[in-house]
Parts: sequence; C-alpha cells; structure tokens
Amino acid sequence: MKKIIISFILIFSAAIILMPKYLFADDQKARKIMQKVEDRDDGDNMTGQTEMILIDKNKKERRRKIKRFTKDKGEDTYSIMFFQHPADVKDTGFLTYDYDDPDRDDDQWLFLPALRKTKRIASSDKSGSFMGSDLNYSDMTSRNLDDYDFKLMKMSEVRKKKVWVIESIPRSKDVIEETGYKKSVLFIRQDNYVLVRAVNWTKNGGYLKYLDVKKLELIDNIWIGTELHVTKKKGKKTVHKTILKINNVKFNQDLNYELFTIRRLEKGL
Amino acid sequence: MSGTRDRIETWFEKTANLIYDNRYKTLILIFIFILTLTAQIRKITIDVSTEGFLHKDDPKLSQYEAFRDQFGREEMIIIALKPPDVFNLEFLTELKKLHEEIENKVPFLEDVKSLINARSTRGEKDDLIVGDFLENWPETPEEVNELRNRALANPMYKNMLVSEDGMFTTIIIQSQTYTADLNKEDALDGFDDSFETDTEEAKPESNGPASKNYLSDKENGEIVKAVEEIIKSQNIPNTEIYVGGTPVVTHFLKRTMMKDMRKFMAIAIGTISLFLFIMFRRISCIFMPLGVVISSLLSTVGLMALTGTAIKLPTQILPSFILAVGIGDSVHILVIFFQHFNKYGKKKEAISHALGHSGLAVLMTSLTTAGGLLSFSTAAVAPIADLGQFAAAGVLLAFLYTVVLLPALLAIFPLKPKKSGDTEETKPIIDRLLKSIGKISINYPYRVLAISSVIIIFSICGMARIYFSHNPLKWFPATSSARIANEKIDAEMKGSTSLEVIIDTSKENGLYEPALLNKLEETTKHFEKYKSDKVFIGKAWTITTILKEINQALHSNDKDYYKIPGDKQLTAQEFLLFENSGSDDLEDVTDSQFTKTRFTIKVPFIDAIAYTGFIKYAEKYFTSNYSEEKITITGMVSLFVQVINSAIISMAKSYGYAMIIISILMILLVGRVRIGLLSMIPNIAPILVMLGIMGWANIPMDLFCMLVGSIAIGLAVDDTIHFMHNFRRYFEESNDAEDAVLRTLHTAGRAMLVTTCVLSIGFFTFMFADMKNLFNFGMLTGITISMALLSDYFIAPSLMIIVNRGKK
Repeated sequence: MKKIIISFILIFSAAIILMPKYLFADDQKARKIMQKVEDRDDGDNMTGQTEMILIDKNKKERRRKIKRFTKDKGEDTYSIMFFQHPADVKDTGFLTYDYDDPDRDDDQWLFLPALRKTKRIASSDKSGSFMGSDLNYSDMTSRNLDDYDFKLMKMSEVRKKKVWVIESIPRSKDVIEETGYKKSVLFIRQDNYVLVRAVNWTKNGGYLKYLDVKKLELIDNIWIGTELHVTKKKGKKTVHKTILKINNVKFNQDLNYELFTIRRLEKGL
Repeated sequence: MSGTRDRIETWFEKTANLIYDNRYKTLILIFIFILTLTAQIRKITIDVSTEGFLHKDDPKLSQYEAFRDQFGREEMIIIALKPPDVFNLEFLTELKKLHEEIENKVPFLEDVKSLINARSTRGEKDDLIVGDFLENWPETPEEVNELRNRALANPMYKNMLVSEDGMFTTIIIQSQTYTADLNKEDALDGFDDSFETDTEEAKPESNGPASKNYLSDKENGEIVKAVEEIIKSQNIPNTEIYVGGTPVVTHFLKRTMMKDMRKFMAIAIGTISLFLFIMFRRISCIFMPLGVVISSLLSTVGLMALTGTAIKLPTQILPSFILAVGIGDSVHILVIFFQHFNKYGKKKEAISHALGHSGLAVLMTSLTTAGGLLSFSTAAVAPIADLGQFAAAGVLLAFLYTVVLLPALLAIFPLKPKKSGDTEETKPIIDRLLKSIGKISINYPYRVLAISSVIIIFSICGMARIYFSHNPLKWFPATSSARIANEKIDAEMKGSTSLEVIIDTSKENGLYEPALLNKLEETTKHFEKYKSDKVFIGKAWTITTILKEINQALHSNDKDYYKIPGDKQLTAQEFLLFENSGSDDLEDVTDSQFTKTRFTIKVPFIDAIAYTGFIKYAEKYFTSNYSEEKITITGMVSLFVQVINSAIISMAKSYGYAMIIISILMILLVGRVRIGLLSMIPNIAPILVMLGIMGWANIPMDLFCMLVGSIAIGLAVDDTIHFMHNFRRYFEESNDAEDAVLRTLHTAGRAMLVTTCVLSIGFFTFMFADMKNLFNFGMLTGITISMALLSDYFIAPSLMIIVNRGKK
C-alpha cells in the first residue's frame, strides 16, 4: 500500500497550461526533496487488507474489502487484488503489472467469477476512478519526476510536524490528460520525506481533491500511511469522500511471482 | 361619504401648504430617501432561467434541484456540425481542434463530449478495450471507414453524437452545476482537521447536499459567449455550425431582454417628454414630472435589489410601466395647478388648490392600479408575483413622490404664469367631439348598450378560441440564430432538451435486480417508439445502456449479448468493472449505492403546452409499471410545464382578485353598492374585448399576455373613477343626468383622453421589442386601455342616463 503513497507524491501535480512556462520554472531545492521522497524505501513483498469506505454527498456509505499483494520486479511493480466484500463481487480479481518505462502502458487483467473469464483491460487513461473511489489509477501507479516542474512554496506544519509545501505542475498536456490533474500542492514531512497531504486540481469539472494521510505507521522500519482520507470537493462543499484503511500490513513476505499470474487470478485466494 | 371626501381634500390642501413652507427640508429628506434606495441598485441581479420562473419553495423546483444535486446540470449546450462528410480525416482533425479549444478556453466546464472522446467499450477476443472513440487517430481512408461503421452502429451515439443519417455530428458541453472556484490559498485550507482525534468516525462533517449556489445566469452567459467566440475563430471549411440547447436559449433571452429594456426606457422617456412639452409648453414641466417618475423607477428597482429579487423576463416591463403609469399622477396635478396659477399667479395657493382638487382622485387611481397589480402577488409563477408586488410598490411610490416631491419642486422652480393657454386653439375641436359623444349616449343609450353587447358577445365567442402557449424559443424572431440552431438540432438530432425520470428502489443495490433491469429495457424501447402529433422522442436511455454495452464487450463484442445479464452477481461485477474502467459515466445515471436510476427521454424544444399530454402519459406509464419504486418526474421539460400550468391557475386567480379588489374600491368611491357594481361594466368590457381579439387573431395566451387583463383593469378603472367622480358631483348639483354627462365629458373626459394617450403610447412602445411576446403584450395592453376610454365615453354615460333618467 506504500506504493500508493509514493505514487501520490509523484503525481499530484498539474499545470495551468495557458500560463507562461517561466512562471513555473523548476526549483532545484524542491526537486531534490521530491527525489528523496521517491528514493525512500517503500518496502517489497507486501500484503495487506484494504478497507474502502465510499461516502457520497448524501452521506450514504459503501464498504469494500480487498486483499492485496504487491511485489517489485526490477523497477516494475506487480500487484494482485481480490475483493472479499461485498458478497456480490466476492472473488473478483485484478492483476496489474505497472511498468517503470513511461512509454509502456500498464497491463491489467480482471477476473469476473460470475463470467468465469479473465479479460485483459486495454486502457491508457489513468484519470478514471479506482474501484469507484476518489483515487484514480494514476494515483496508484508510479510517475516520472521528469514529467513535472516543482516549486517550493513555503514551510508549514501538519499535525505538529514540519512540512515543505511543494507545488507540482505537469510539463505536458499529455500528463494532464493521463492523470486528470492540472496542478497539485504536496505536503512533505521534513523528518522522514513522507507525503502526508496533497491537494489536486482536477482537469474536468473544477473539483479539488484533498488527500490526507490520517495515520502514518512505521512498520518493519518502513513508513506507511494506514489511513487515507480522500475528499473530493467543489469549492468548499464535499462531493464525495473515500476513506482507505489498510490493516495487517506486512512487508518482506514470502511472495512468489507465481502469485502474480492469470492462473492465480482465476483460482482466487 | 362626502364628509370624508371633504376631510381628505382639506388634508391634501394642508399638506401642500406644509410642503410649500418647508420646501427645502422636504426636498432634502426625499432626496436622502431616494438616494438610499437608488444606492441599492448595484446589488441587482438578473435571472432569466426557467428555474427562475418558479418560487424557491415550489415542490417541482425542489425536485429538480435534488435531481441536479445528484446527477449534475442536465441542460447542455449542443454544437451541431454539418460538414460535407463527418467521417473524413480533414474534418475529424478540425473537430478535434475545436473540441480541444473548447476544453481549454470555456470556463465552468464539467464535461465536453464528442466523437473525439466518446466512451467506447469494446471486446476483442480476450481483451476488453475501454477508451475514447478516437483514441487511436485514424490515418488511412480504410480506418476512417471502419470508424464510420462503428459510430453508426453504436446505439448510444445515435441522435446524441451522430445524427441518424450520419450527416451531423455534435459537441455536447455540460457545465458545472455549482458556482465557486476557490483561489489557491483558500483551497489549501480545505482539509478537515477535526478528524484528528476520532479517526474511527467515518462521517465527514462537511458532507451533505452541496450548496445551493447553482451556476448563475452570468456564468452561463460567459460559457455561451466563450463557445461562440471559439466557433467564430475556428473556421471549419464548408461546414454548417449550429449552437443550441437550453443554456443558449437562456443566454439569448437575457441578451435580448437587456437590449429591449434599454430601448423601451429610451422610447418611453422620449415620448413622455414630447407629450409633456406639447401639453404644457414649458421645459420645467418636462423635467419635474420626469424627475418624479424616474425617482419612482429607481426607488422601485432599489427595493428589488434590497429584497434580493432578481430582474426576470416578466419583470422587464416594469421600468416602462412605472414611467407610463406614474406620469399620469403628475399630469393631473399640473393641469389643475396651471389652471389656477395662470389665472391668479399665486404659486402657494395654486399648489394647495391642485392637491386639494386632484389629490384624492390620484390616490384612488393609484390604489386601483396597485390593486390590479397586487392581484398577481400570490402567483405561483415567481417573477409574475414579483412584478405584481414591485409594480404596485412603484405605483404607490409614484403617488408619494407626486404629492410630496412635485409640490416641493414647483415651489422652488421659478415659474411665470402664462395667460391664455396654448392649448386653447385645439379646445373647440375636442370639445365638439366630446359633446357629440355625449349626445350619442344621451339620445340613444339603449342602442349604445345594444351595440356594446353585440361586441361583447362577439368577443366572448372569440375567447373560446384562445389557446395557451409557453415557448421562449418562439419569442425570438424566426431569423434569430438561437432559434434557427435549436430548430435545426431538434430536427436533425431529434431533440435538444429532456424529460428526466428518477426510479428509486429505496434499496441498496436495488438496481442489480434482473427483473427491474429488464423492465427498464422495455420502458426504453417503449418510449423510443412514442410519438404524438407534437412530441417525438429522439432517444431514451438509462443505466441499462451502460450495462448492455459492457456485457457485449465482455462477450467478445457479440451483438447477441447487447442485453441485460440474467444474473445478479454478473451485473454487480460488470458494474464494478465499469467503475474501474476509467469512466465516471455511471455517476450520470445512478447514485453510488445503486438505489435509483435516472431515465432520460430526449425531446425537442417545443411549446410547453404540447408537453402536457406527454408528461401525463409518462407519469401514468411509470407509476403503473413501477408500483414498487418511487417515481419522480423532473427535468427542464417538467419545469417548463409547471411554469405554464402555474401561470394558468395564477391568471384565473389574479383576474378574480383584481375584479374583487377593484369592485370594493369602486363601491367605496361611489358610496353605493349598486352604482359601484354597475360601474364595473365599463371596466370589464375592455378586458372581454381584448380577450376576444386574442381569440379571433390567434394570439397565443402566454405568460405575458396573461398579465394584460389585470394590468389593464387596474388602469382602465382610472377612467371610470374620474367619470363617476365628476358625474356624481355634477349630478348632485343639477340633478340632471344629461347635463352631468356633458359636463363630465367636458372636464374629466379631456383628462381621460390625455392620460389614455400617454398610457397607450407607453405600452405601444413594447411593439418595438425584438421579442414577439413583448410585442403582443404591448399591443394588447395599449388596445385595452384605448378600449377602456371608449367604454367610459359610451357605456358609462349610457348606463348613467338609463339609471338616473327616472329620477329626473
């Protein structure tokens, strides 16, 4: 799940494309911070139980439970997820190969138990919602620092910890298209280089997406956010909200590449 | 009764003296009052939206707002393009450029849809391809051809993005539902810090139905303007382009209204000035009455701003109305003032005499006019209620300023008495005319009444032919671009607006039920086949459209699988897959818990009356077929129908109220019930004739024409008041009805002629409007007021002769 946080750090960004470039000239200090964030150990061979609470504008909740396994392969990341709850979608599975190479589209397969079939999903758009949550696919996959301009806006505090506030703006329209964000402001903790907050400006609809790492834990010496709140707002009003809780996080588990195959996807947990 | 009248007249005289003695203090006080109200004007807002026609607490509006909160703004801007060939590489490149320009430059966007980014979910062997229709840009004619086949075969694109014959394609622009974009600093403060202590608590405190700050008229206008500019600058060769949809209609209404309003005010002020000059031949007599009416107008608009009442389509008649009606008060006072002043040359006495003589009559006419207007104040159509309240306020303010501001101004302006009025030369002609009119009533009262009865009966027959109508599109001239565009889009894309139905199962995941989904499917097919003589349906869709699409894609694009999966689990999993496929389109048709779905029926923009039968049909169909679900019918079309239905009911009520209020005032004025009621005949006759004209001339009864009756009765009654007031006075003196009629016509008859000219000219100026509805309104009111004069010249004297003859 750490993956998610890392990826947030890297993607929460976007640009008002019409603005002259020089206004957003890159800031070396900010870039160094971001590099350190990216270089931070995010662990490997992780297992975890994700609970997703989706809250709509009428305060109606939906809960989903997902078992998730992640393993690095070189610079690429493999992950497999199985739905455990609700009952209707139990055993529905997603297998994802997230390639480090920016030119290569990620591979994703899904298995629908009611159809007893696996389908490969071919899509390069990452701005769509992840499992109906307020996270999108681009939030879940790693991004290239070279795609963005960074600027250190100011120092601040989040939950009594000092943070850098860094503005991140995509360098190209394609990145905006792909991530769905035209600008982001990131809050990076100064003591451990963990992203604890972010604000994203969405390309469509003029929404603001607030990511807040409510609970940050040190597990096996790796920092991981175990409770995230993502709030999608229009102006000051909440339109939708997702609460992600990650339980039973374990790193360095004995995960085999065999786990990350279509065969396992179809077999289920 | 006459004792009371004397007391009131004395009171007016005393007040006039008081004002004269304290003229500077009075002026300062009243200027402070006027300025305070005028200063509010900068807060005035304008709202020409269909929602604006309904009161904030109208249940239909609440339903619509709940719908909008859930599914977003349903009104779309539709750009229809007709190139020589839609599926042609060159054109598609232009389309892409246009699409991107719109995405980049138009403010307050929620979504832009065209073939460029249309949802395309397909299956190829074991692959599920989810993406934009033109994600992989075609390079060869073969590829373009394949795209053509795919686009024309896609049921979702038909009549939405591509016309049935493939000749037209569209770009559909959806704006944000709410206003408000935050600046960066405010945006960074949006975190919910209160979660700190209770992270287990899953309820966000700021959740809840979002603010009611819907996108404003102004913002809507900015969107339309931005779109128009892009279209202008993007020169697509050999391509016809039409920009339509209800947001465009709204914007055009507003633009035309602003233009018309300026025009009317200029014309009204111009004609009034000219008229005042001809009548008094003094420059000061142009400025003093104009000062009074313009002050009344500014104060009234200030009052509207102060109470947060927006200027809406019907309220646009307010300025010229107040100018025309208010000027009459000043004229009555000035005529008497100058009669006295020219004769004796004593200003103070002349002022006090004028107020004493005409004050009561001016008060009574103001009250009856306000009464007629107040009859609208409870109307279910919000801007008509506003118009009633504020026009009444304006009329009363005009009265106040006439009896306070005008005397103070007269007191201060240096005036010299003129001997022998300039109007003397014209007097004999008018006198002779009025005398012969009087003779007709005196000699042939029964014949006059018989002829009048025939005209009235003929009119009543015409009334049966009146039909109701509410179609803002038809208000525009046939050459207006908004009208042309909408008519084209209605014809080619089979509709530009929609009826929305919400089917609520009240159960979480209620929409997974195959039985319900299949029923929705049937309903879609049923409505796509519906056709009445006026309403046709371009398309109907609901959540099943997405489900069928994904089901087919998951089955290797096999057409046999373009249907609802029979299995609840599979449905749930397919929706999960869809939610995960990069499209947010489910949000447009269902809530997050799959308890309710939106069912959209696309229809052309036609007369609201024509929808009535269709909506009743839809209501019956849905409630009888979905007995276990909660059905809500809403959407622009439903609001539209609500507006006209409320208007019809309001009209009936307001005509009734106006009649009652004015009858009571007449009885009070005349002092006798029988004569008071009798005097209502000349008041009602012009209204009946007006309605008859509408029927015989096929003028539709729309929101504006409905106003004519109550406004006209409030004004028509003024003539009757003057007639009865004077007739009674002369009759008491001579006890000779014939003599009283002649003398009344000689004095009051002249004043009535004058005020009728001002008023009817004031209303006839609306005939210069660009909008047809205003043209009709102005013409009909002008005619009615002229009729009222005739009716007081003929019917009223005849009645008085007949009633009083025996007493002689």
